[in-house]
Amino acid sequence: MSDPSPTQRIAFTAVDVSKSYPGVTALDGVSLTGYAGEVLAICGANGAGKSTLARLLAGQEQPTSGTIDIAGWDKPINGPADAQDAGILLMHQEPMIIDDFTVAENVWIKEVSSAGSVRGWKTARRHRAAATREVLAKVGLHGVSPDEPARNLGPGLRQMLALSRTQVNDHTVLLLDETTASTTEEHFKDVLELVDRERAAGVSVIFVSHRMPEVFSLADRIAVLRNGRLVDIVKTSETTPSDVMTLMIGKAVSAFEAPPPVPVDSRPVLEVSGLTSGSATDISFTVKEGEVLGIYGLVGSGRSSIIRSISGNQTRESGVVTVNGDAIHPKNPGEAAATGIAYLTEDRRKEGFVKDFTNGENMTLATITRFARLGVINRRKENKRIGELISEYQVKGGPSTFTRTLSGGNQQKVVIAKWLEARPDAVLLDEPTKGIDVGARMNIYQIIHRLADDGKAVVVVTSEAEEALMLCNRILVLKEGRFVGEFTPATSTTDDLIRASLAGVTA
Amino acid sequence: MTQTNPTSTVTATASTPAPAPADRSGFDWRRVGAWATEQYPLYILILLLIIAGISTSAFFTPQNLTNLILQASVIGIVTLAQFLVVLTGGIDISVGSVVGLAGVLAAGLFSGASVPVAILVAVLTGAVIGAVNGWLVAFRGLEAFIVTLGMLALARGLVYAYTEGVPVTPQAEDFRAIASSTLAGFPVIGILWLVLAVAVAFLVRRTVFGRRVYASGSNKEAALAAGVPVRSTLFLVYVIAGVLAGFAGFLLASRVGVGTPTAGNGYELNAIAAVVIGGTSLVGGKGRVFGAVIGTLIFAVISNLLVLLNVSTYLQDAFRGALILVAVLLTTVHFAKKKKARQLT
Repeated sequence: MSDPSPTQRIAFTAVDVSKSYPGVTALDGVSLTGYAGEVLAICGANGAGKSTLARLLAGQEQPTSGTIDIAGWDKPINGPADAQDAGILLMHQEPMIIDDFTVAENVWIKEVSSAGSVRGWKTARRHRAAATREVLAKVGLHGVSPDEPARNLGPGLRQMLALSRTQVNDHTVLLLDETTASTTEEHFKDVLELVDRERAAGVSVIFVSHRMPEVFSLADRIAVLRNGRLVDIVKTSETTPSDVMTLMIGKAVSAFEAPPPVPVDSRPVLEVSGLTSGSATDISFTVKEGEVLGIYGLVGSGRSSIIRSISGNQTRESGVVTVNGDAIHPKNPGEAAATGIAYLTEDRRKEGFVKDFTNGENMTLATITRFARLGVINRRKENKRIGELISEYQVKGGPSTFTRTLSGGNQQKVVIAKWLEARPDAVLLDEPTKGIDVGARMNIYQIIHRLADDGKAVVVVTSEAEEALMLCNRILVLKEGRFVGEFTPATSTTDDLIRASLAGVTA
Repeated sequence: MTQTNPTSTVTATASTPAPAPADRSGFDWRRVGAWATEQYPLYILILLLIIAGISTSAFFTPQNLTNLILQASVIGIVTLAQFLVVLTGGIDISVGSVVGLAGVLAAGLFSGASVPVAILVAVLTGAVIGAVNGWLVAFRGLEAFIVTLGMLALARGLVYAYTEGVPVTPQAEDFRAIASSTLAGFPVIGILWLVLAVAVAFLVRRTVFGRRVYASGSNKEAALAAGVPVRSTLFLVYVIAGVLAGFAGFLLASRVGVGTPTAGNGYELNAIAAVVIGGTSLVGGKGRVFGAVIGTLIFAVISNLLVLLNVSTYLQDAFRGALILVAVLLTTVHFAKKKKARQLT
């Protein structure tokens, strides 16, 4: 373990902190010190206890044993309100934005809710508008009007809006709990600048994440958790991402192999020409059987529009889509499935699985009629198939566990199993590893490659250049709804993809 | 019957191979235990029965129990209708008016001369009202509460317009036969209730339609994305609910012997409360028919007990209201516990 120079001011100390829930020990004797003007990353695979630690530090829950001390605050912290008074600012993974408030009201939410008079804040609106614009500009929201209702903002912008509160609320500790999970690469530089400013202002920043590139560009020190224990604290300058990953999962990560090349004579399965829908304009591409095609682009570039309109989740303005030579016009996902197209959503919790269903019920949801005669389900047949699927995809928890209780990786396996049961010819995956930790990602990658091996045409939409290069045979880069370049992993780098997506420069 | 888990034969361990058929014959005590911890409505009912037995000797008499079943059956069938709708995340407050309208039309249309025709009239009345509700909710995307609130007033208004406030006497002499006859000492109307309960349980737990009802109620977006015809499923649920309420309307008219204009007044409250006490989530996607049946019985026992104890009618209503509040409070305790457990993962 390494400690920074003793001259640094301590911002918080956690001593021997443990947290257990009935039946589970989430944190086990973690001791951690945070210094003012330093960025401390907390890394760990899903279930390692990093979110629990963040909740304890933020005062949202109390440790079962051990103490957490915030410098300059000697009262106990019982709940979020106390934590705020103590100077802790927590940024959640899901941006805490009130949809029906304007952008400005969301920025100044603390003032709005604690104003002395009912209309106190409202009357100062004109005066505030300039201040709001200034605050917004600092987090990269230059074009956003303070009077815009917050619900009009896209997911990436919402997170930045939430982060703008760092500029107006006094705090000594800033906790970013997976805050960058939905941040795009273009907004990430705003986050970077913001964290730099915080550091310079002497704030102790805690960054909870499992995304290595972000951790390494932000943090001074990295605390690694595994199974509820603190494994090590390392200085970012003295380590490498693969070392940290090794600490996280306890064994060396093997580099992931590129998919096998597609035979030249393989048959095209999915052909799209002149597709226009949402922000995607005049899109044409072909995916052959056994091919993994990547679509890389920034959020809002129209990536999701492309595959959502192919799969009947969104209407198509124009364009022709053919599967195995037959033109298809699905009006809803059900019709798309019938023509051999499976679409795996980016928003698993909302569209991926049914929250009150078990793994088994979720897996057979799209194909339930196959197990039924005259509308009556043959449970023996269904259970047999579910058992097979559970062991085939190695889903944790078994058939009768509720899918919502699983980790992101296992949820994704359930969703994949559900769609592959429909035996599609073309599989469209929207951000397949969103919210899934490193160890489980490999598992998902393997499953995707196995799909290609089985001769399916696979399309992967991703906002991570690294993932695109690792996973795909071919990558199309999208900018403002149009393709601006085609890349092959063997001859391209992440830099090429990012540059193309920003500036449209082709290789 | 209703509470078995569809995936029960496979044990909850990772990477278990396909279940051996032998698993089915074994009696899994752990599962029984898990089931038993969830059945708090059942314990409330048992407790109530004990209290009833202690507080008055008049409770456990064949005459009184028959009476109790007669009272519980009609409302029990209405509760089944409500259960289906609540399972989809909706609510149907027009059920009481449907009972009323179906009852007076069954007794009055075609002079109420033939029982089969009367049943058909009642069921069709329910189906038509259910179809209107279902169309507005499923295909027009309107709020179930407001649609069925409108229907509550509309149907009740039609009842008064048709009867002019006077009970309708059917001509058929055997109009009361169904409701007053017994089978092996058990009221036929009670048997009908149980048969319908089993049928609804089978429908929701064993059929493709039922699976879709749960999916649509729990997570509409995910259901749509998986190709579930959410709209037509919703529509059908309202139609089936209407049919059940219509049939209940006939049974009530048959029990009383005439089509009463006020029949079914306030049934929606009883039905919703019974469904909620039975553990069905008002947000949809969660609940069992067994619970709805228990919920109905809890209400019936309390009403019956209050009558036996000579509690004033007005206080009885207050008791019922209080019970609804307590029951809803209980479910929040119940769900809060579950939520906490979920946070671990």
